[in-house]
Amino acid sequence: MNRRDRYRAVNNRLSRRQFLGRAGLFTGAVALGPSLLAGCGGGDDKSSNDTRGGGGSGASGGGDPKKLTISNWPLYIDPTEGGVTGSVDIFKKETGIDLAYTEDYNDNNDFFAKIQPDLQAGNVLKQDMFMSTYWLVSRLIALGWLDELPFDEVPNLGNLVPNLQKPAWDPDGLYSLPWQSGITGVVYNIDAAGRELTSLEDLFDPAFKGKIGMLSEMRDTVGLLMLNTGVDPAEATFDKAKPAFEKLEKAKTDGQIRKFTGNDYQDDLIAGNFVACIGWSGDVAQLALDEPSLRFAVPEEGGMQWSDCMVMPKGAKNRTAAAKWMDWCYDPVNAARIAAYVGYVSPVAGVQEELRKSPDTAPLADSILMFPDDKMLSNLHVFASVSDDEEAKFDARFAAITEG
Amino acid sequence: MAAQAGEERGPRRGTWQPYALLSPGVMWLVLFFLVPLATLVQISLSTQKSRFTQEFQFSWSFSNYTDAISEYSNIFGRSFRYAGIATLLCIAIGYPLAYVIAFRGGQYRNLLLGLVVAPFFTSYLVRTIAWTTIFGDHGPIINLFEAVHVDGVLGTVGFLDSGRLLDTQWAVIGGLTYNFLPFMVLPIYVSLEKIDVRLVDAARDLYSSAGRAFRKVVLPLSMPGVFAGTLLTFIPASGDFVNAAFLGGPNNRMIGNIVQNQFLKLNQYTTAAAMSLVLMVIITIGVLVYAKVLGTDELAS
Repeated sequence: MNRRDRYRAVNNRLSRRQFLGRAGLFTGAVALGPSLLAGCGGGDDKSSNDTRGGGGSGASGGGDPKKLTISNWPLYIDPTEGGVTGSVDIFKKETGIDLAYTEDYNDNNDFFAKIQPDLQAGNVLKQDMFMSTYWLVSRLIALGWLDELPFDEVPNLGNLVPNLQKPAWDPDGLYSLPWQSGITGVVYNIDAAGRELTSLEDLFDPAFKGKIGMLSEMRDTVGLLMLNTGVDPAEATFDKAKPAFEKLEKAKTDGQIRKFTGNDYQDDLIAGNFVACIGWSGDVAQLALDEPSLRFAVPEEGGMQWSDCMVMPKGAKNRTAAAKWMDWCYDPVNAARIAAYVGYVSPVAGVQEELRKSPDTAPLADSILMFPDDKMLSNLHVFASVSDDEEAKFDARFAAITEG
Repeated sequence: MAAQAGEERGPRRGTWQPYALLSPGVMWLVLFFLVPLATLVQISLSTQKSRFTQEFQFSWSFSNYTDAISEYSNIFGRSFRYAGIATLLCIAIGYPLAYVIAFRGGQYRNLLLGLVVAPFFTSYLVRTIAWTTIFGDHGPIINLFEAVHVDGVLGTVGFLDSGRLLDTQWAVIGGLTYNFLPFMVLPIYVSLEKIDVRLVDAARDLYSSAGRAFRKVVLPLSMPGVFAGTLLTFIPASGDFVNAAFLGGPNNRMIGNIVQNQFLKLNQYTTAAAMSLVLMVIITIGVLVYAKVLGTDELAS
């Protein structure tokens, strides 16, 4: 819920280091720009010629090649600010595509509730593309409310890292293309906690009563509690999650958990209302630059891994322009600029090398949260894809705890 | 005949004109109140085919109601408790305020009234979110309590929970009180302002004490204002979800939060519709009883 909501307030306080980092990366992009632009230009002409207009199907393009409407989570891309041109504006300039990029995707459940009546009625949405979290992608595919992506016109698709090419939520890899992946773990203020927190069990320390936050995203919070109670969330069933729910309910009733939040957990951390909470890796990578006492830990019991993906709703018109966008975002230079800002795990191969090219961004290339090593990956888990009936039980039980 | 026809024309014109004048309001009510209400009743008695779609099968499924009541009875109770306490606090704060403005405001009366209404120039949401900073663990209120060393005492009496105010029931009640205070002050002011001060003078001339004059003259005459203010405060406060969402913790959710969550997150339209109607019915019955006890003709005066 409210993922990245109210992010801007936090981000406006860009530290000097961050600013230099981003500025430096941008300079690098400009230096590399012309050659890429030439390369893109060639492809551009070709795909334009191929375009025959109208909503397409299968893997090919269509629609107005110069128009595109995208909804994404707030501040999930580097903005144009402080004299630095952001990715959206660079894209518009390089491709001439009139991109309407709106940050009105605040919450998976809310967004689903918003688009559901139109999709059910067979209406075409105003968005050509939006970025949903993996489990919602899976649901949308099952409901038949997504079109296949125009991968024929995405040469850079080859840069997609192998482990995300046919993910569990989209087994044929036809309907979704990862935007960013990330880790859910423990975020804490080391000064307020007075010690390093290394496990989920630390969140149940009575010393932190009423100072603990958890996420209102069911899979993040319940997934971590399943790990805490010794169950692999990859094999989640409602029965196996019972101990996790019981522990969560008790902690909530006892007042150990102060609040279930969306992305606004950042505000509570900074205001000192939370000593520790469940949070997302990319946020902390950024917040820690401003608030040095904030730490992110992948808990001993394990962390959760997730991906947000680009998808096109049923009947979306501007397929060629969407292909152009995906291709552009999967160029390592552009992907590196976005990754450096958002601090999540980029699904594009070559981003790490790209970050190393500039001394300002080189430290990011060594960030274990952006480029998890094998040891880290072995400690990360995904939530099982559960049946509709099971999911309904999970959601209802979770809602009874968080909203009861 | 002609005379008769002429006589008939008069009353006939009289019959359609009031209806014509009423029609915009009636149409508004039918379109935006009765039709949605009928839909709500229909959905509340339906079964939903899938929680991902809005296809409803009307089936007289009263189980939606029994589920709503059995599962959430404690939350209904909590909502009315919070709204009730907030209403009493509004009377306690609002009555003296309205009294001072009405009788001692003098030339500043309109200015003072303006100040009561001034918060409406800012969005309800923004005002409520602002309280998260004021109530925060490092905010001015907690800092003050700690500076004068009353935090321990307040913790013992249950006002503070583990040394915090934000995300507790008192923060929610405080938010409700703050947000609905003008709805209490204004009707009380209106009824106080109508009171002829010579009545108080007369009471005093007849050797009544100031307190007795207030109890016997001012208070009864201002009861319609208190009655109206109570309705304007209690009803919206019972269904409010904003204060509990921002100022309360997971143990302080009100029925509005549950309905919102059922509608907009869980897509459980049937349960949500049943819960909304249960809330409406309870409030309606409560208001009728309240009106019976206090008398509606006083409200009309």
